[in-house]
Amino acid sequence: MTLLALDDLHVWFDLGEGRELHAVQGVSLELEPGQRLGLVGESGCGKTTTVLGLLGLLPPSASVAGRVLLNSVDILAGGEESIRPHRWTDLAIVFQGAMNALNPVQTVEAQIVEALELHGRASGRAARVRVGELLEAVGIPRDRATRYPHEFSGGMRQRAAIAMALACNPSVLVADEPTTALDVMVQAQILELLDSLCRDFGLALLLVTHDLPVVAQLCDRAAVMYAGEIVEQGPVDALFHDPRHPYTRLLFAATPDLHGHDALASIPGSPPRLDRLVEGCPFAPRCDRAFDRCAVQRPLLRELDAGREAACHLNDVLAVTA
Amino acid sequence: MSVAAREPGAVIEQAPIRSRPGIVWQAIRKRPSAIVGATILGVVILGALLAPVLAPYDVHEQVGPVFGHPSWSHPVGLDDGGIDMLSLLMWGARVSLLVGFAATFVSMVIGGTIGVASGYFGGRTDTILMRITDYFLVIPDVPLMIVVAAIWGPSLFHIIIVIGILLWTSTARVIRAQVKSVRERVYVKRARALGAGHTRIVWSHVLPQVAPLLIANTVLTIAVAIFDETALAFLGLGDPSRVSLGKIIENAFQRAAISTGAWWAIVPPGLLVAAIILSCSLIGGAIEDALNPRLRVAHLAARSFRLRPLVGRGSEAV
Amino acid sequence: MKGADYVLKRLAFAVLTVFIAVTINFALFRLAPGSAVTNLARVPHATPETRLALKRQFGLDKSRFQQYVIYLQQLAHGNLGISFANSQPVTDNLRTALINSLPMVFLGTLFAIVFGTLTGIISAWRRGTTVEGVTVTTALGFYSMPTHWLGLMLVILFAGVLPTGGMSNEFLINPSFWTHVKDLGEHILLPALTLGLVLFGEYTLIVRSAMLETLGEDYVLTARAKGLRPAAILRRHALRNALLPITTLVALSLGYIVAGAILIETVFSWPGIGRAVYDAVLQRDYPMLQGAFLVLTVSVVLCNLIADLLYFRLDPRITE
Repeated sequence: MTLLALDDLHVWFDLGEGRELHAVQGVSLELEPGQRLGLVGESGCGKTTTVLGLLGLLPPSASVAGRVLLNSVDILAGGEESIRPHRWTDLAIVFQGAMNALNPVQTVEAQIVEALELHGRASGRAARVRVGELLEAVGIPRDRATRYPHEFSGGMRQRAAIAMALACNPSVLVADEPTTALDVMVQAQILELLDSLCRDFGLALLLVTHDLPVVAQLCDRAAVMYAGEIVEQGPVDALFHDPRHPYTRLLFAATPDLHGHDALASIPGSPPRLDRLVEGCPFAPRCDRAFDRCAVQRPLLRELDAGREAACHLNDVLAVTA
Repeated sequence: MSVAAREPGAVIEQAPIRSRPGIVWQAIRKRPSAIVGATILGVVILGALLAPVLAPYDVHEQVGPVFGHPSWSHPVGLDDGGIDMLSLLMWGARVSLLVGFAATFVSMVIGGTIGVASGYFGGRTDTILMRITDYFLVIPDVPLMIVVAAIWGPSLFHIIIVIGILLWTSTARVIRAQVKSVRERVYVKRARALGAGHTRIVWSHVLPQVAPLLIANTVLTIAVAIFDETALAFLGLGDPSRVSLGKIIENAFQRAAISTGAWWAIVPPGLLVAAIILSCSLIGGAIEDALNPRLRVAHLAARSFRLRPLVGRGSEAV
Repeated sequence: MKGADYVLKRLAFAVLTVFIAVTINFALFRLAPGSAVTNLARVPHATPETRLALKRQFGLDKSRFQQYVIYLQQLAHGNLGISFANSQPVTDNLRTALINSLPMVFLGTLFAIVFGTLTGIISAWRRGTTVEGVTVTTALGFYSMPTHWLGLMLVILFAGVLPTGGMSNEFLINPSFWTHVKDLGEHILLPALTLGLVLFGEYTLIVRSAMLETLGEDYVLTARAKGLRPAAILRRHALRNALLPITTLVALSLGYIVAGAILIETVFSWPGIGRAVYDAVLQRDYPMLQGAFLVLTVSVVLCNLIADLLYFRLDPRITE
């Protein structure tokens, strides 16, 4: 049974004066237990909004449509009330390292205990013992538990956040740009940590990032997002060696050393505005292989082989000419 | 930057605006509260300026009984000297606004200079100036004003100086912060590298960026200055020869307007002062808001996100 | 230890500020127009001998600097001079006055803090709705009203219902304890309410602004992601963090409280330190005026110091 599935998820933001921004346009994903999926794309493509929508963490100006299926049950159907019980116990999230994600006036221990007590996993002394265990599992000495977040380095804060995320034994860990804004050395450590933790605890991982080498290191599969929708999805190596969407190809081509640490070079041009309807393929203006059909008709995401899909008219052409 | 704010859809408000010409006007135009404030203030200022022309009666002439009731010919009644209240209000507003603007001007000059010097030169100048500002910030304004006014003697000029000398602290701090950030901007550094003199840089680069904030602060300071004048007048420290709105209230209080039931001698002048202060607060607040918008989305709010039923997919059939 | 460091620094700052205020006080009265003798040592119906003695006591026959030293010495002994009005030591007058002021100011401030915080939180929570608009407008309205005028409004409204002058009914003969308390309560109500309403406006705006700030912080998103309910998040994360800017801003409102106290006590003839200032101005009772100014300044500096220390306790990030 599929552990987590997003079925045609849409997110709109109300911009006032009757205008709307269609930030997520029909995203569908699937995650099996223990599987690791990378969600990649440029800044602003909607990947963070997607995972926030998945956890129901959107602001009141947002409208959501679609289904979020956790073990085949749609937890989005009842809105905030139906999602909340699953937060942290089934779906846990770690945010970007530079963020102020930990409350500065509470000790790290207190914040993890809060999670444990809230979901009835432990309380009082037992909870503090458990906190010690969790911290050690992420490589933080037990005695640092009673320190405040500002007394930790960026990398250690991120580890603490990961420890906190694991507190209630979730089955899915969502990591939103977990290593961006960290030192290169620290990045490597955090990635290794995520890798081993997911393995040891059998966690499924949904990794959101714009950094392709990170995806290559941690994930088996990846979904590429552009302008709010998924344009290609499949095994990471296949995406690199045999991309079926020009954006994927350009993205991976801009990162020559997939297993190194070179920064992502940018593709010229910029993504379309999402507050108005786009005619044809949203990538067409920047595409090096666009042809007449691209400006007119929007390509749909179609399955190519088992486990691969892409949204590009070129695939139809190839299919026809094959 | 906050998680949600990185996605385009989540940026509800605009990105931080760099000061540019016309931003003050735009800020006011876009906010209904500021428009109301500006209108009220405009009307009051107009009435005060045109008092010599518009006031229906002479404010030195008794036109009826002491504390005469409001009537058609005297919509706001008469004061303790039988003088028409409406005319008195117009002339009073004139004096109050004069004191407010003049005192604010004094404080702007002091505060602005200190703020610019502190922010621009930094280092020891900054430390020393800010220390001085800190002390003045803590020492309570009104008691000091009272003491100075009591010793120096009541006159309009004295009052203006006294108020001005104590209001500059917040201006200095605000300006300093802004100047510091402007100083670090590329084009300023470039100008310095090219050998532009300090005066030139301050005048053509720093001041334009600082101006809108200065305007917002000025407007807010006017509100405080008028409040202070009202307070000083009430305590008998106002200029006895000029009748300000505060003095009108004081007169009424002294001459037992309340026990006589002459509420019209007390309510309208205070209402007018409140209206002026409110207007200034609205306008100043609107400008400040425009310069420093809340970029963040509230991560927690009373309402939650909405669900939409899924409509059929788009019509692009393959 | 970093904590002690911070405390010492704030203490030093407070002491220095008081010192500066004392110096300003001295300078103002010595540099005032008119002979210093007239201003300071003026005692009605004084014989030339008394005047000479006073002159010597205040060291007015010595150099300015020596006068300053003597002034400081006198201050150190708690000698603030003799009031012109009632020929009593200023210190005694002020002590009584201060004791009278405190309950009224305390009640008013408490009212403002409690209700201001409530409305501030509500208006931040219900951002973008009519509730917010109404509360903000009301708060701005009260904030804009001149303190003494608001007091007069309340007098007009409640004249006849509640006493509007003085601290107690002087015509009560040998009142029982509870009658006395009730009497005091009736008298303290309007002045405290005036102060409370004026501060309420300001505090609502402060709390609202602080809450809006914290509600946009990332750790609030984390708290929500952890599955906490809104009430718990508000309490444990938002409000707790908002206390920091709130403390700072409330400390900055102390000057406003003092100004308010002076005006309100004048309106309601409340025999407190504010009223003492007013009377001193009226009667040109310079020793009292000087003394009152000093007491008020020291009070404000003290409260600021307390606020600083409180902030230190609330925020673990202070290392300075």
